[in-house]
Amino acid sequence: MTAKCRSSISFLAALAAAMAVAMPAFPQEQHAAELSKVVRLNRAPVSNETLQVTLPRPVVTKLPNGLSVLVLERHKLPTVDFVLWIGTGDMSDPKDMPGLASFTAGMLREGTTHRTSAQLAADVDKIGATLNASSDFGSTNSAVMASGLAPSAGQILDLIGDVVLNPTFPSDELEKYKRRQLSQLEQDRSQPYVLAQERFRQALYQDFPAAVTLPTPESIKATTPERLKEFHHHYYVPGNAILGVVGDVKPDEIMGLIRKSFADWKGQPAPKPDWSHLPPAAPAKICLVDRPDSVQTNIVAGDYGARRTDPDYIALYVMNRVLGGGPQARLFLNLREVHGYTYGAYSRVGDDKYREAWAANTEVRNAVTDGSMEQLMAEFKRIRNEKVPETELNEARHSIVANFALSLEQPQGLLFRWMLVQDYGLPMDYWDRYPVEVAHTTPDAVQAAARKYVDLDHLQIVCVGDPKQPATIRSSPSVTC
Amino acid sequence: MTSYRWCGLLLGGLLMAAQLVGADQPKLPRVEFTDQKLENGLRVFIAVDRTAPLFGISVTYNVGSRNERPGRTGFAHLFEHMMFEGSENVGKGEHFILIFNNGGNMNGTTNEDRTNYFEALPKNQLDLGLFLESDRMRALAVNQSNLDNQRNAVQEERRLGVDNQPYGKAFLDIDNLAYDNFAYKHSTIGEMADLNAASVDDVKEFFRIYYAPNNAVLTLVGDLDPAQTLEKVKKYFGSIPSQPAPPPVNMTEPSHYGERREIIYDPLARTPLVIMAYHIPPGNTPDNEALHVLASVLSQGESSRLYLRLVKEKQFATQVFAQADERRGPSILYVYAFLRPGVKPEDCEKAIRDEIAAVQKDGITTEEVEKARVQFLREQIQTRQSDLYTAMRIGQYAVYFGDPDLINTVVDKFNAVTADQVKEAAQKYLVREQLSLVTDLPAAPQGKAATAQKEGK
Repeated sequence: MTAKCRSSISFLAALAAAMAVAMPAFPQEQHAAELSKVVRLNRAPVSNETLQVTLPRPVVTKLPNGLSVLVLERHKLPTVDFVLWIGTGDMSDPKDMPGLASFTAGMLREGTTHRTSAQLAADVDKIGATLNASSDFGSTNSAVMASGLAPSAGQILDLIGDVVLNPTFPSDELEKYKRRQLSQLEQDRSQPYVLAQERFRQALYQDFPAAVTLPTPESIKATTPERLKEFHHHYYVPGNAILGVVGDVKPDEIMGLIRKSFADWKGQPAPKPDWSHLPPAAPAKICLVDRPDSVQTNIVAGDYGARRTDPDYIALYVMNRVLGGGPQARLFLNLREVHGYTYGAYSRVGDDKYREAWAANTEVRNAVTDGSMEQLMAEFKRIRNEKVPETELNEARHSIVANFALSLEQPQGLLFRWMLVQDYGLPMDYWDRYPVEVAHTTPDAVQAAARKYVDLDHLQIVCVGDPKQPATIRSSPSVTC
Repeated sequence: MTSYRWCGLLLGGLLMAAQLVGADQPKLPRVEFTDQKLENGLRVFIAVDRTAPLFGISVTYNVGSRNERPGRTGFAHLFEHMMFEGSENVGKGEHFILIFNNGGNMNGTTNEDRTNYFEALPKNQLDLGLFLESDRMRALAVNQSNLDNQRNAVQEERRLGVDNQPYGKAFLDIDNLAYDNFAYKHSTIGEMADLNAASVDDVKEFFRIYYAPNNAVLTLVGDLDPAQTLEKVKKYFGSIPSQPAPPPVNMTEPSHYGERREIIYDPLARTPLVIMAYHIPPGNTPDNEALHVLASVLSQGESSRLYLRLVKEKQFATQVFAQADERRGPSILYVYAFLRPGVKPEDCEKAIRDEIAAVQKDGITTEEVEKARVQFLREQIQTRQSDLYTAMRIGQYAVYFGDPDLINTVVDKFNAVTADQVKEAAQKYLVREQLSLVTDLPAAPQGKAATAQKEGK
């Protein structure tokens, strides 16, 4: 696996050169004589009413030790879900130890002052529950998640409390964990999308912590119980945590159980990092990552996005819905339904306390790599240069607002929305105002978001594929990175 | 609803522990549904759930890749894609646009035993959901350029999920090795050459034979008025003509004598994989349920036997799974393990065999049975959160086993399994004569796809 890096020239020149090669080294697929067309007959009966949905609100409490608690009652089924966010994730990993937050979370279940790893496993499984802890690279949080039957709520809380407050990070279990992680890293690196994300985040975020997507063999090997204890001591503190509960619970009862498990949790408040200063956006470039014997090219292309608290986040979200936010959006309809280049083509808006990426991705057979790049670029230019027609924009706005009805069904999803509000310090009427703001997003605001965030001068493109693949962008001397 | 848990307790032994765990477990709430058949043979189930303002709609067709013929593998799934390419009153791609732009979700899936199409929508879009499903059941519109387009999309789906994936070939080849009957032997995604050979006439013929109301089940679950919903169903679907019943599929699997092995040299893999497959009886049979309990005991949770032995103690694997399929025809119990680099596949295989042998010799404990039951109960209750998923399962149980009420009774059936039955089933089915095994080994890049070496015994 190597990424070729050459000195950079302007992206537009690079792309122009790539597209202009008259005699590609390998034959590219020609367009079919007749393209398949997307057709609107408009004969289906559609209700134009938008269901007005108000999301049920949680009871929010702060324990004297600083732990924020959200309790959301949902009584349809006798289950309960818990989510504990620690406000520190792999974004805060020391430079010499990528993965420290992940390792700390991953080792919580491997032994406490009360239970061995095997006892924890037995106690979780005996009540039919699930209990997992993790952090993600690029995430400012670590998370402990548990699910189970409602009558087990007290036992589950006891287990969460035990792994969060009393982990011992035993060295024999750590050695086993490290061996599993080294294997897992090998396994992960066999996945093309993992390689694509790795290179894309490096290109986009440069020396910012969000550039890191994987641990290294060195960081895994260098992990010690002391490093984990230190991380845990600093960050697994009640003032740095939010506990959410959703399900068939009564707030008074569950609060009693929560106090029992968490009232003794102590610790100095963790420092709050400032994530607002990103490196200046890098000039546009294309990065090629070799994956010998790949039969597809994985393409990722994107820029810095917005924070949820930024004033134009909603405009960006609506813009993305039009461009690539689903099978009804432009990228999918163009690259798949018209051209047949791919099984799927989408774009996404990230969401974190720093400017998470806005990025498009698609996986295409080698022979249509150039054609796919051409269509992606055409759609990027179109949404920048042309105002989204009123009917298309109406549909996009409607799709977001109408989908709120469906969100009521999934307790964990609902809880997640409220934990976001708490985590970001948003007002409690955020989800009431959100659909209103979506509905009022204007064509001008959407175009402004496209021009700002679909930033072609700084667009970072990554193609993972076979080094022998027949793509002219590969043989072009202007490919950079 | 009968609870079998208490019967188990009478058997003595470690009563108290089991009783304490099971004492206050909730029950799986019952789904009440109506069951009607239109004159054209369309079976309709409607269940009310007013906890959220939405509904799920699922159409399950009694056709899957088992109905395919040699030379047309992958066709049932390619056809499924064509159902999104337009019908008399719905343009190509308009289905996606109408569902998502009105706040819904949708998809379609194909497996060996059935094909389903489904949407979740806000409750005020009932007409939209019924219109879209009925229009494509009534009058699918097919043309060459749309077929070529979806042939491309499906071939990319295969590349994405199989040909460009480490272990992709191994997961296809295990069934190919295990089965002799073509119905389950070939893959649902199909061979590239067969996909290339599919014609517009094939699509039209498949539609005529299999996509008739008498070969389908419609299920609606959600915030609905049952009487009004049934009237609308009749309005949209009632006039679609029925067709002669499709030809039956011979699912007979010849007897197996001796184990089968294959080694794959995989240039995309960086760590080895071992997949073992044992022939077991079809789903919805007591033996299949016993083996489902066994699979749970073997690999569900970090206190499971295979996790403790292979991942923690021996450290041969990073992950290990046991899974008992519940197919309509002869089914399979799979055990597969992702190995650490450098671990010998034969060592891992032996450790798995040792664990199976231990069950065959000493059986499983009452605590393990209780654990499997409570894990299964929690899963079953959680899957009920989604009305759409409930609709899909009712439809699937009706098409698979003619018993939609399995949505309510699966837990009872699972709870009826005793430790002795698990031991007996392990002795009877997890034997060498019924085993097929694929080993996937990392190979140097070679400029071609993964290659296989077979050994029969």
